[in-house]
Amino acid sequence: MAEHQDDILALEHLGKTFRVGFWGKKVQAVRDVSLTLKRGESLGYLGPNGSGKTTSIKCILSLIQPTVGKIRLFGEDPSNASARARVGYLPEAPYFYDYLKPTEVLDYVGKLYGLDAATRKKRIPYLLDRLGLSNALDRELRGFSKGMLQRVGIAQSLLSDPDLLIYDEPLSGLDPIGRKEVRELMADLRREGKSLFFSSHVLTDIETLCDAVCILDRGEVVAQGRLSDLLRMDKLESEALVELPIADLEAAKARLLALPGVEVMEELANVLRLRLPTDVVPGLTAAVVEIHATLRELSQRRESLEELFVQKAVHVSADGQRSPAAGKSA
Amino acid sequence: MNIQTTNEKLILRIDGPMAALSRISAVAGNTLREAGRNKLFFGLLGVTILMLIFSILLSDLALTDQKIRLVTDFGLAVIPLVCIATAVLLGAVLLYKEIDRKTLYAILPKPIRRSEFLIGKFVGLSALLLGQLIALALCWAGVLHLRGGSFSLALAQALGLNYIEILLVTSAALFFSALSRPVLSGVLTMGVFLIGRITYVINDLMQATKGVFAEVPAMRALGRVLVAVVPDLSTFNIADELQAGIAIPPDYFVHATLYGLSWVGFFIALSLLVFERRDLV
Repeated sequence: MAEHQDDILALEHLGKTFRVGFWGKKVQAVRDVSLTLKRGESLGYLGPNGSGKTTSIKCILSLIQPTVGKIRLFGEDPSNASARARVGYLPEAPYFYDYLKPTEVLDYVGKLYGLDAATRKKRIPYLLDRLGLSNALDRELRGFSKGMLQRVGIAQSLLSDPDLLIYDEPLSGLDPIGRKEVRELMADLRREGKSLFFSSHVLTDIETLCDAVCILDRGEVVAQGRLSDLLRMDKLESEALVELPIADLEAAKARLLALPGVEVMEELANVLRLRLPTDVVPGLTAAVVEIHATLRELSQRRESLEELFVQKAVHVSADGQRSPAAGKSA
Repeated sequence: MNIQTTNEKLILRIDGPMAALSRISAVAGNTLREAGRNKLFFGLLGVTILMLIFSILLSDLALTDQKIRLVTDFGLAVIPLVCIATAVLLGAVLLYKEIDRKTLYAILPKPIRRSEFLIGKFVGLSALLLGQLIALALCWAGVLHLRGGSFSLALAQALGLNYIEILLVTSAALFFSALSRPVLSGVLTMGVFLIGRITYVINDLMQATKGVFAEVPAMRALGRVLVAVVPDLSTFNIADELQAGIAIPPDYFVHATLYGLSWVGFFIALSLLVFERRDLV
């Protein structure tokens, strides 16, 4: 993969194998992951639990050494402190020294970033106030809720005004208001030109906040690209709500289901919610007239990220066992 | 929530030795703060102060001319041991606690080198142990004063050497803490301390004509290994000489300090080697 000047993060064939247990059994947590993040871009890193998201993030931040592959952070090896200086990181379920107060945590972090005392004095109260923590400045973190800790985590990640934000599950553990606020904050940061790299299980948030996604499953990339490419317009589907005549219910239903690609999503008495390819809509309307049914609703829907995620990353078999999806694309 | 990150470009001072020192002192300060909140630390400190005060009562049982000597000997024996115990107990969990509580995951992605973090942890704990030693020494000096004695330069020198020993044990604890879990690292550090205190005995036994260390080849080999790989901590213990009134030549302190600091450097280098390569899963 050729390195581009605009690439602030590049993973090339990243792989990590752990040795576990007494006999040192090999477990491949991440295999052959390649991706790039350009300046100002926002990338959602998705995958089921245990798919290797956190392991790859830890490799990016030099907490874990990759077994194979190469990582470039702002064109440098991430083991260089100067590369990490431009990154703001929020760990999954952030843990800080619980005997410290939020200002003390940020002051400590500020010193590690080499911020002078005057800057820290100015910036710390500003960030804590913005993140709604100004009424908890005198409390030790041990008394904080998960949501409040998450806010402290976000504040410390923004302290050095980094170019790249790496957030591992930033929305987990937050109440609905907290989620909304963090989502808005991330949208603001994006508007300011910050690059975002974040993992999340909340797919709608990723869909709203990201330009591109990378879906991992069992350590491998199963789908990757810009959202506009992955959720292509030619995958447009329509949804129709049809009320069938009670007198000839079964025949009417059979007539509609005979149309190509029509599936029943929901059935309630004589009302059917159908999913159908958009190009079949004219055929459906004709059939509705023919069987004397009523078309109550007709709407167009795009394939959602959730559907793509389920299709690419997870295949749930009839017995409830989850296995990787058969078709994999990059 | 509308957040303006910043209008002006922040200046991050991350290059150069001063920036590295600043990071080390930040970690050391935090370590000192954390260790200083440790109940065990204050418990040991309190009990030792009580014991030193109790030595006044104990000295009443001694003969008139032995009262000051009893308080002196008591302090010389107890103070280093308590500081060593603190070093082992706090040192054994120094890194493990950071990993176990996942606080390390929020710190190491910052522009700090692992070596700086490790040295900061060591400096922080060493500063705490120095504070403990000084507090106990002050208490001891007070007790000596009450008994009509004085805190001499020789006693200060003895404690100075004890502090080198404490640093050495702390660095060993740091090394084992980078390698293993607290119980094992505590046991291994105590092993280094106990064997280190008797290496001169093992050396003497190997040079004797009789006994297991002289006659059994396997024991002789074990003795050689122990003497070679474990620091001789008796170097830092001059209590016997002080009790016997033997003057210690000034160059002894220099040599002992250099010897101790070399071991400290060795253990820290080993810790760095282990910690730099460790995956923080």
